Amino acid sequence: MFILRFLIRRLLQGVVIVFLVSALIFTLLRVVPGDPVRLMAGGMAPEALIEEIATEMGLRDPIPVQFTRYITGVFQGDFGQSFVRPASGAAVGGASFDDSTRGERARVLDLIAQTAPMTIQLALLAMVFALVIALPIGVAGGLYPGRWPDRMALYLSSLFVSLPNFWLGIVLALVVSVKWQLVPSIGYHNFAYTILPAFVLAIEIAPFLIRTLTVSVAGVMAQNFIDIARVRGLSRNQIVFRHALKNAAVPLLNLLGVQFSMLLGGVLVIEFIFDYPGLGLLTINAVMQRDFPLIQGIAIITAAAFVLINIVVDLAATAIDPRLDY
Amino acid sequence: MKMEEAMKSAPVLQVSNLTVAAGEREILSAISFEIHPREILSVIGESGSGKTVLARAIASWLSDPLRITGGEIRFRGQDLVKNPGLARKLAGREIAYVGGNPAGALDPTMTVGAQLVEKLRAVRPDISATEAKKKAIQLLNAVRIPSAHKRFEEYPFQYSGGMMQRAMIVDALISDPALLIADNITQPLDVTVAAQILKLMRDLNAQFSTAVLFICSSLPVACDASDRVMVLNAGKVAEMQPPRALIADPKSAYTAKLIQELPKLWDESTRAPGEERDAPVPVLSIRDVAKAYKIRRRGEAGLSVVQAVRNVSFDVFQGDNFGVVGESGCGKSSLMRLLTGLERPDHGQIIFDGEDVGTASAATLRGMRKKFQLVLQDPYGSLPPQWPIGKILEEPLKIHGIGSAAERRDRARAVMNEVGLPDSYYNHLTGGLSAGQRQRLNVARAMILEPKLLIMDETLSALDQTEQGKLLDLFERLQALHGFTYIFISHDLTMVRRVCSRIAVMYLGEVVEVAPNERLFFDPGHPYSRALLSAAPTLETRRYRPEDCLLEGEPPSPIDLPPGCAFASRCPHAFDRCRAENPVLRDRGGRALAACFLNDETPAVSEKTYA
Repeated sequence: MFILRFLIRRLLQGVVIVFLVSALIFTLLRVVPGDPVRLMAGGMAPEALIEEIATEMGLRDPIPVQFTRYITGVFQGDFGQSFVRPASGAAVGGASFDDSTRGERARVLDLIAQTAPMTIQLALLAMVFALVIALPIGVAGGLYPGRWPDRMALYLSSLFVSLPNFWLGIVLALVVSVKWQLVPSIGYHNFAYTILPAFVLAIEIAPFLIRTLTVSVAGVMAQNFIDIARVRGLSRNQIVFRHALKNAAVPLLNLLGVQFSMLLGGVLVIEFIFDYPGLGLLTINAVMQRDFPLIQGIAIITAAAFVLINIVVDLAATAIDPRLDY
Repeated sequence: MKMEEAMKSAPVLQVSNLTVAAGEREILSAISFEIHPREILSVIGESGSGKTVLARAIASWLSDPLRITGGEIRFRGQDLVKNPGLARKLAGREIAYVGGNPAGALDPTMTVGAQLVEKLRAVRPDISATEAKKKAIQLLNAVRIPSAHKRFEEYPFQYSGGMMQRAMIVDALISDPALLIADNITQPLDVTVAAQILKLMRDLNAQFSTAVLFICSSLPVACDASDRVMVLNAGKVAEMQPPRALIADPKSAYTAKLIQELPKLWDESTRAPGEERDAPVPVLSIRDVAKAYKIRRRGEAGLSVVQAVRNVSFDVFQGDNFGVVGESGCGKSSLMRLLTGLERPDHGQIIFDGEDVGTASAATLRGMRKKFQLVLQDPYGSLPPQWPIGKILEEPLKIHGIGSAAERRDRARAVMNEVGLPDSYYNHLTGGLSAGQRQRLNVARAMILEPKLLIMDETLSALDQTEQGKLLDLFERLQALHGFTYIFISHDLTMVRRVCSRIAVMYLGEVVEVAPNERLFFDPGHPYSRALLSAAPTLETRRYRPEDCLLEGEPPSPIDLPPGCAFASRCPHAFDRCRAENPVLRDRGGRALAACFLNDETPAVSEKTYA
């Protein structure tokens, strides 16, 4: 009953959020400079032809009219077709305006469905790495506030935060893949290609997790029920692992949700550096080519993912701490 | 339990020359005593006397910078000071501890039952989970937690304070300890609930033959609860005697002073403030006021209605000291919010000086606030920490646009002088003020507008006995000088007995009795008033015995109130009519009113005569 009411309420809110996001993206794309038809047709195409194509595609209609047409399609599961990408394969762009393959351009939903699993795989592995790094460091820091584990947590976080991810990515690719030949990177052929980019992302996320863990573990350890647990006869291990960590988990969970959403939506730099065929790379190319339908599709899908992830996080938090009532 | 009998057996705990220091400063000096099986030893002393440090030292729970610097704590002959490993093994198993803060004592994310089982199995790994659960439920029943099976599966936040303290007692007793350290266990509880917990502790002590070290700060409670009382003063044992001997013949001057300073409820010499009833028109007149809040409850569709205040009617006259008493959750503070116009009543009238506070426009209300002011309970949260005292005092004048800057400054200094704050504090921040000084400042801020009515919402609760006395004297002086009318909202019967001329007793949002001071204390007209009086901590011979006045249990939830009298579920005299029909306030003569069917049937009070 409670869960049902919660889900209905949150999903309805989510629909509103996604709708607003798509309206915003849709409008912004059309008011910023850069004509997609010019890019599609090529620099040499005559002005009259461009106008003709644009009118034919409905790009000269008023924005609300275009948006209504688009959103109606979205509600029917049709995110439109890419302006640029052919359905057949990898070729990008359309150098000549009389390209005969234009009729069979790729469907946006297909493009996203091909790349999203790659990004989800990358994001999940990155979260696992980040947790493996952050849990011991952060928990130790929280258990001994002011002492060396706490200071080490701070120093390590500062170090991780100050490493630029593009630099770390390039250095690791050079050293680990090229020189030592330990794990492959650049492009994607099998799962092993995910490891290095995930590790770079993990280093980027870990400081936030460490900080949150240190603060929340230290906060829980200072609470009365932890203090009194010792006189009640509980062992140190029981106190830390059964009570302190469970109570400290809620802030961490919230952070994980946000971080995971961000990973899904925008690992642009890392995917670009490692030429990793995920959503990020797709987004970069779509933006560079003014591929409106694709950009819109990615934005809507990531916004929806964000909403869903947050619902899951809040549900999990209520399961951990029954006092929470969203 | 006879003491002589206890003395024959070997002591459970022998403390000799125990000295505890924080750095260089001695907190406890050369404490020696012993406790025998089945004995209850009370330790009393004012705050800072080292009671809690003693409790923690025995529980092997001292944290930096506190250290045991000398002496022995022998548990069944073995010294815990020299053997911390043994002390750790005994903690929670043979030596159990219950603290004064039940609200935060268990993990909020686990059910109470799971934690009881966890604790028992931590100290007694040989007991199976099923057995542990059986034992926990059996003990939850023993401490009279209703429907223990269901409660076992509930979370700490679903327990009330009194319930939680019972659960913590179960937590302590579940491992069959030889010694129970009860550190201020009744402190956060309401008097009627605290009385139940004390009774429970004595019963359990007899049933399980546990020795109890009972730490508390109230002499009457300590004497009530124990076989012997140890008085601590500044870290030293002032004396140790059985309660009756202690009161009859205190050996130390300190104890004698403690006993003498205790306020008395039924002493004829306690001068109740007289009622002056020259003015025929009340300053404040409340008629049939009600306020309900809508809340959403977990796991339920729709909103529930909390009836915070119901059917409240009374009159306050010029120069009165009107008291409103009741336990936590009875609606005292909701009523205060209504009286001061912070919230609007759902219906009813609050007539102050000819105008209805409940329906006045925001602008009218602001004007009216000049004439009634509020002083709150919390001396710390009620003052802005970054403002100098002078600025705090001048703010009300500024808000109401009174006087020039120079006039305001003079007025602030004058008021500071009146409440006894040194002139030099004018530019100080509030950081260095004591709780008592802060409350003086709060009073000064309230009276700078020269109001007619001051509402004191638990203003003195955060202060100790001595400071309370001084402030009460101040209130009296200010009243004589300015003709203030006071409304004291309080849970402290001894304070109300001392200062109030008329008193309203509230229970679950309703006023169940309104009576002049002496009438309420000597001839209460409502069973709940008698229950409150029976539970009040005092050394006097009680006029009302708790056994006769109160059934087990706690006030029902103000959500979905049952029909009939709200007190019926705890009233030993309740009969069928009480459960079907809610009694209204009726005149008992002598300007005393009570809402109870046991009183003679007189006509319900008419519009005119709530006085």
